[in-house]
Amino acid sequence: MFEREYVTVTNFAAQAGMMTLPGDLSEPLAMGCRRVRDRRGHVCWLGMAAALLIPLVGAGCGQTAAASYRLNLVESAKQRLRPEQEQQVATILAALFGTPDEPVALAECGLDESKLKLAAGPVRSDIVGRKNGLYREHCAHCHGVTGDGMGPTAAFLNPYPRDYRPGVFKFKSTERADKPTHADLVMVLRNGLAGSSMPSFALLSDAKIDALAEYVKYLSIRGEVELALMRAFFELDDEDQGRLPDDREFLIDEILLPVVESWQAAEEALIDVPEMPTDIDLADSIAKGRELYHGNKANCVKCHGVTALGDGQVNDYDDWNKVVVQAHTTVQGGLERAGETSTWEMDADEVAEHRAELAWLDRYESVLGGNALPPRTIRPRNLRQGIYRGGMRPLDLYYRIHAGINGAPMPAAKGTVPPEDIWHIVNYIRSLPYDFNGTLGADKPMVARDRL
Amino acid sequence: MMTRTLLIFSQRLSVAPRPRWVGCLGLAGSVVVGLAAAGCGSAVVSGPSPDFEVARALRDKLGASTSETETADTAPQGIGWATLKGRFVFSGSPGAAIALVVDKDTQVCSKDGMKLYDRSLLVDESTKGLANVVLFLRNSSRVKSEVPTESLLLDQENCEFLAPVFAGRVGQPIDVKNSDPIGHNTNIAGTSFNQLIPAGESTIFTPARETGLPVTVTCNIHPWMKAYAVFREDGYVAVSAADGSFTIPDLPAGEPLEFQVWHERSTGRSGAVSLEQPDLKWNAKGRFKIELKADEVRDLGTLEVPADAIKG
Repeated sequence: MFEREYVTVTNFAAQAGMMTLPGDLSEPLAMGCRRVRDRRGHVCWLGMAAALLIPLVGAGCGQTAAASYRLNLVESAKQRLRPEQEQQVATILAALFGTPDEPVALAECGLDESKLKLAAGPVRSDIVGRKNGLYREHCAHCHGVTGDGMGPTAAFLNPYPRDYRPGVFKFKSTERADKPTHADLVMVLRNGLAGSSMPSFALLSDAKIDALAEYVKYLSIRGEVELALMRAFFELDDEDQGRLPDDREFLIDEILLPVVESWQAAEEALIDVPEMPTDIDLADSIAKGRELYHGNKANCVKCHGVTALGDGQVNDYDDWNKVVVQAHTTVQGGLERAGETSTWEMDADEVAEHRAELAWLDRYESVLGGNALPPRTIRPRNLRQGIYRGGMRPLDLYYRIHAGINGAPMPAAKGTVPPEDIWHIVNYIRSLPYDFNGTLGADKPMVARDRL
Repeated sequence: MMTRTLLIFSQRLSVAPRPRWVGCLGLAGSVVVGLAAAGCGSAVVSGPSPDFEVARALRDKLGASTSETETADTAPQGIGWATLKGRFVFSGSPGAAIALVVDKDTQVCSKDGMKLYDRSLLVDESTKGLANVVLFLRNSSRVKSEVPTESLLLDQENCEFLAPVFAGRVGQPIDVKNSDPIGHNTNIAGTSFNQLIPAGESTIFTPARETGLPVTVTCNIHPWMKAYAVFREDGYVAVSAADGSFTIPDLPAGEPLEFQVWHERSTGRSGAVSLEQPDLKWNAKGRFKIELKADEVRDLGTLEVPADAIKG
């Protein structure tokens, strides 16, 4: 409950602030935003709130260093990268993608650099009074300047803001393994995600939303390239001496293009949705959906529960949180093993190795403490509420059931549940918020008092 | 807790240079016994910054050149084919089997008092053979066989994947089957494949990319269900059998080959298994190099995995 208030305050303050202040006075706000990137999360949030409440305070912050992207240190710790290897990754990323203030999109990325420029950088107005720095104005406080879902407000939100870096998005019109289309991202920006802290940005012009969607793609491609680079160290041969090649064949053809191509393929990967069956009475369709929900074929009941309150499977994690859970397990196991190891009979090399192991575990632990949010389990949707993150149209529910939800435990029904059955389930799901004592019929008007 | 703090403390003394926050963590941590470590641990760790000059030069270089269509292929290519075989044994004691917590669909998953056990370390009692060690060839220059079109079977029965480690080939269809009277879902990490498999039914999955090291296969409905899968472009991959033996036929002969070895419980990096063998040099990433002659059947003999190479 509190979390919700936090984000609303920040968000409204940000928007209201920008609407009421003349362009030049928006600078302190921009400064507040700038602090977000290079300082510790909670300090920044305070800094930003102060700047929002009393704009003049912002001036006290003075000049800050240029904005910078944060490295994915959770992955680099997992891959045991050395500092010079981390720096090589940072440098390659700077070459391919520039900085938060000056984004770069190589021609191979297929991104529109002018849109990126509109979205990137500190909040400011250009010479014709057009607002720039949209991402930091509207998105960065939750999603972080890097798009790692670790903005200053992130820890207070449930669910956590999306971390774009793995390139996985939940609510889309494409097959499970595919990226969202540009239109999918625009839809999320325009409608928000009901039941989460993601608000609607419908008040922004089409051009601004378009620019933000492009920028999300840019951050996501950047994040996926970062992951690919960090993982590539393990694949190196001994002769490479722990350095990634910096030629075009490796960086562009092997690392960048597969990511870019997966985004381009999304536009062709739309889910083929057949018409909702019309030759069946709605009540019959709902009854069929009900059987499917509880039956062994669609098996919805296992996670969403016999009550449909989303209480069937409550101790699972989504892919983002699973990464952190597994990392904690690795660190704990490593520390336990190290605790049982005696250095008494080790030779010098073994002692050095043992110390290196401890140094790695210690750093890994610090990174998990400071650069990752405490893992949370994922709740299957409570289907009695009628609140659906990815949209409430029957079509949206069809997409969710057909393709599952990428990154979440929700599996795809495609292939094993025929399309007409998926439609029956959609109809049943849509009836659940109005379901009274498990029966449904027009002859039985619902009495609110009785329902309670 | 105490030992851990001491560990952290002793490690503090041995590492230099330390980042700023380390002082706080180390001192407070060792004095206040662990509690402070949690508090201070929440400081953001900042990694190294990019070298912008190098970055600019690199960007110019990448922009100036276009991908060379042909790269001089310097790797020597041999002719003919050969076979590699061997047997992994475990010199430690596997310990008692750990029963898994089965708390769902017990009418099927624990029928007649049946118990499911953790299968992450399977050692054959009589031969000491270590099962489910994965061995695959890295970067093959040529491949003998085409990708088969007949599908492999990834089956699950009694709420357990039949194969604890499953090996497949990129492009070869896999029949993901559910032989149980209850529904499962099969979730293969890193592939975005997560599919409902109704009771007694199956669906086809065709891996499109190599996995590198094996990835997990799970069922979200029954959280104890876990297996691993590895997919390779060339199909040069083996999973050691119950007696620890493995065979990879039709390998390119007359050229240097490098193999990667992995086991779920290995203490090595990401599960890499590195052994000390007199005539076979393994690196820390669990790889060894070898060259085979045409039509040779090379038997590596007994490969002993020491007790401390496996997580207890």
